[in-house]
Amino acid sequence: MGQKYVLMFVRDDEAFLADPAHDHRYESINQWFMDLGQQGKIVETGSELQPAHNATTVRWSGGNPLVTDGPFMESKETVAGFTTIEVSDLDEAIAIAKRWPAKDHAIEIRPVVDFEMDGH
Amino acid sequence: MSGDTSATLEAISAAFRDEAGAVCASLTRQLGDLDLAEDLVQDAIVIALQRWPRDGVPDRPGAWLLQTARHRGIDRLRREARYRDKLQALSAVNVEQVSREPDERLRLIFTCCHPAIAREAQIALTLRAVMGMTTAEIARAFLVSETTMGQRIVRAKRKIVEAHIPYRMPAREELPERVGEVLAMLYLVYNEGFLSSGPDRATSRDLSADAIWLCELVNALLPDQQEVLALLALMKLHEARRASRFDSRGSVVLLQDQDRAVWDHAAIADANALLERARRLGAPGPYWLQAAIAACHADAATYAETDWAQILALYNALTRVMPSPVVRLNRAIALRHVAGAASALEEVEALSVDLDRYHLLHATRAELLREFGRIDEAREADRRAFELTNNPAEREVLLRRIRDGGATRDGSADAAAPRLAREPP
Repeated sequence: MGQKYVLMFVRDDEAFLADPAHDHRYESINQWFMDLGQQGKIVETGSELQPAHNATTVRWSGGNPLVTDGPFMESKETVAGFTTIEVSDLDEAIAIAKRWPAKDHAIEIRPVVDFEMDGH
Repeated sequence: MSGDTSATLEAISAAFRDEAGAVCASLTRQLGDLDLAEDLVQDAIVIALQRWPRDGVPDRPGAWLLQTARHRGIDRLRREARYRDKLQALSAVNVEQVSREPDERLRLIFTCCHPAIAREAQIALTLRAVMGMTTAEIARAFLVSETTMGQRIVRAKRKIVEAHIPYRMPAREELPERVGEVLAMLYLVYNEGFLSSGPDRATSRDLSADAIWLCELVNALLPDQQEVLALLALMKLHEARRASRFDSRGSVVLLQDQDRAVWDHAAIADANALLERARRLGAPGPYWLQAAIAACHADAATYAETDWAQILALYNALTRVMPSPVVRLNRAIALRHVAGAASALEEVEALSVDLDRYHLLHATRAELLREFGRIDEAREADRRAFELTNNPAEREVLLRRIRDGGATRDGSADAAAPRLAREPP
């Protein structure tokens, strides 16, 4: 059985959307997803997210819900999408992330909690 | 047991270094669990530290450590039913075989130095699992508490298990990057030993010697890797000149004032031979170029005979493969000897934003300003350098310069003014 990882695609939305060529770049990104899908490595396709300026955050302050405009952390770079893969180990996940075609992204690789393991 | 005499701590450390990595690698393979294996070997080392000083180092320290680790493991696992299959594997561990053929330590080293593990944890894990150092010893060497170091190790090992970092050799295409991780770790360990050595610091352990030993091991297990050979040469070149770094009063002796007769010329020749072999293995990488620069210094019979043109050419190549501001700063010093102080000062000024927090930027700038008689600015730059370094030897040199001005009254450069040694490390 493999290990599941969520890949979070992090980017500077403003710079990405300002790039007039950004539409074309989806061709290579789609190809990346197709290749992975054909290899049976994708367990949940995930989503691309709207820019963080459309985000709303709910947190609790002294037990009271507090709704604020914007992402949970103010930062130029925000999570722009995510997908879940299942591979043999972290090295395979890293190799897949390295093939991601958009080099102005960062990709955070997070192992998913396995409820069959002890301690959860 | 070997004889009836007690063993010295040095002999015990050497035995750990020779055996611990192989014991840990064997046990990891047989158990399929680096976390557990590494803990058990560490337990065995702690027990050995109690017994060997009294009883002597056993004839086969590796088998002793593996046997002890195995007993510890069986005790521990009996209390934890969920490890039943591992208990079975432990019972079957063959203590006669601390496997060397093929040497499994390389897999252990690559796993400890996985890029997904923070550099400081890579260092701690490698020193513990491969060199057989205790957590307490590592904590002392890096001036942090044993608790902090212990947590660092626990966190790293937990990540190996929970993020599924594999215990295996990197694939061929990953090798350059992964070897780079190991070398960066080794060079940091070396520098920690090198920079902390000196008359004031009583360390029980010479980390520099450990780093060289480990680099030699990597070279033996993974032969004909240019950058491995080059780093080995680089460390040997620093080591060959180490004895002349301090005078009898414990003050730093700068490169131009060092007694070249006490340099280890046989070691310098060895390093040059390594460099020559490495050169044929491909286009020069960052360690090769740094080692070649160190070799230029080591080969000069006197400071005046230093081949600065060659050094500048090597720095030009180094800035291409490693375009960091620190490399450019070091290049500026070579530039001063080839093209003059004005060009060097111009280059240093261009780096002053990037390296504002780096004391050697300010110290170098001070030296160059002094050559133009700009004494007040030079003193101000030295003050800034002084604020930015904690190294006692460097602080002493800077303080002397701030007090004396480092120049004669008419403002011309004083050849006797102390200068900071500034080639790497």
